[in-house]
Amino acid sequence: MPQLVVSGLTLGAVYALVALGLLLIFSAARVVNFAQGQLLMIGAYLAIAAQVRHGLPAWAAYGLTLAAMALLGVVFMLVAWRPLRGRPTHLVILTTIAMGIILENLALIVWGPLPVSLPAPLVGRPWRVAGGVITMQQMFVMGTTMLALVALSLFMTRSRFGVLMRATAQDLDMARLVGIRVDRTIAAAFAIGSGLAGLAGLLVAPLYLAEPTMGGSLGLKGFVVAVVGGFGNLPGAVVGGLGLGLIEAFAARYVSAEYRDAVAFIIMIAMLCVRPRGLFGETVGERV
Amino acid sequence: MRPWMLIGWALAACLPLLLGSGYAVQVADLALLNALAVLGLNFVTGYAGQVNFGQAGFAGIGAYVTALGALAGLPFWLALLAALVVAAGASLALGLPTLRLRSFYLAMATIGFGEIVHLVLLHWESVTGGSSGLRQIPPIGIGRFVVGTDAQAWWVLLAVLALAVLVAGRVRRSWLGRAMIATADAEIAASLTGLDTLRVKLVALMLAAVYAALSGGLYAGYVRYVSPDQFGNQQAVLLFSMLVLGGTGSIGGCLIGAAVLTVLPEALRFLHAWYMVLYGAGVVAIVLFMPDGVVGAARRLGRRLGVG
Repeated sequence: MPQLVVSGLTLGAVYALVALGLLLIFSAARVVNFAQGQLLMIGAYLAIAAQVRHGLPAWAAYGLTLAAMALLGVVFMLVAWRPLRGRPTHLVILTTIAMGIILENLALIVWGPLPVSLPAPLVGRPWRVAGGVITMQQMFVMGTTMLALVALSLFMTRSRFGVLMRATAQDLDMARLVGIRVDRTIAAAFAIGSGLAGLAGLLVAPLYLAEPTMGGSLGLKGFVVAVVGGFGNLPGAVVGGLGLGLIEAFAARYVSAEYRDAVAFIIMIAMLCVRPRGLFGETVGERV
Repeated sequence: MRPWMLIGWALAACLPLLLGSGYAVQVADLALLNALAVLGLNFVTGYAGQVNFGQAGFAGIGAYVTALGALAGLPFWLALLAALVVAAGASLALGLPTLRLRSFYLAMATIGFGEIVHLVLLHWESVTGGSSGLRQIPPIGIGRFVVGTDAQAWWVLLAVLALAVLVAGRVRRSWLGRAMIATADAEIAASLTGLDTLRVKLVALMLAAVYAALSGGLYAGYVRYVSPDQFGNQQAVLLFSMLVLGGTGSIGGCLIGAAVLTVLPEALRFLHAWYMVLYGAGVVAIVLFMPDGVVGAARRLGRRLGVG
């Protein structure tokens, strides 16, 4: 039972990071990035390539991965968002899905279909807490997610750039009129969002194996969390992520292991029907 | 119907005689089945402007209900009819609560629906056969006539598609079609004229689901084997890409998009995973440079030639 809580919260923290990246991109660009899971997968593989293939120390591999992912986010924005402004939503959605297909199959070509692993960065004995066991990596995942939440919240509310980003989200044309460099702001949002996906990828790779198709399911879980937490509510995403992780762990154990993925989608559809603004509402783009 | 259309259908009827080999006709048959599903998607996305990534899920429901009914001994046409009814019911169950949602939220709800259908097909093993699917499904047939060859299947499927096109054209020109387009263009304005836009969107989704189930049910009887992966999210995205490639909102575009994206992966099979990269890049390129699809681009070209 305590073990279920630990594994549920760990996976939930990864969901939360995926959702945070989605929210950040949505909050600035008003686009739901359906390739977020594939960005995560690329992050996992980049960390593996740097650390395992090229023998870099973990901190350097992680730093490089995050930098590369930020850059990829900017490229993503230039290809799949900027030229599409004003296009019907269904085309924007299809484009991000197509970007995901490209990333997934490029990964398949470059790294092959077989799952690969990333060694955990912190070595140490697992902790025993209240009858359960927490490994260092699980602690690292949960701790990093909390740090990311705090840092992002401060960034969005306290920093000048965060305020600019929220202003852009609220009214793109007005933001431009008052002199905000809209493209630069949104490119930054994509860079941070993609970096968060990369962070989730390098955290999840030591726990599970990395494979080209790992992004599909994790990306979808990220949407579920974003919907449940309220699109644009950062703490809501983390609460939603941890909650979904817990519910899945318990549903797999006590209801049905096969339908654990269905649970998430049922929750999402129910949520969309009852409270489409999420449990905690949408706040990032609301007030500046 | 204009004369060149009749000529087109007549030429299409001769296709199996030109293709000769079995494999090419099989691919052509699959293109017809995909065209049916895309034609359905066009009602809800092309006309009514609502994103629907659940189309493969509806096709899956149609395929499995048809397969199970026919395997249980029902005549094929009756099993297919039951499948259409079940799919229509499923579209109501999905649409009633979710069609109030806009853009991204509706996209996510329909993706979730597709995932749930896929998971049920995969894990309800006692009924669906799990990942190994259902085999030896009785072939398409009515009364004593049973489809035996790929060419016969082509003629039957072509006739069904022609009927489906006819119905789609009728709907487009009817009050309902105009209501769908009004809903897509300006939902609030449309509702202010007294139009029940939620009901219009529901009918559009129901038509989409029925077309998808028809496609899925005929697929089950044609290929005589169904498995969950044929009705996953990849297929939903593929159907959506077909619609956009051909030209959203155009019946001819649906047919073109389905034909191109069914034949292309077969013709480019030697590219392996590179094909999928090319497919993704192609979709991005279409959205960027030809957002109204092949039909829209051809129309613009024609206008320019006509004017200049």
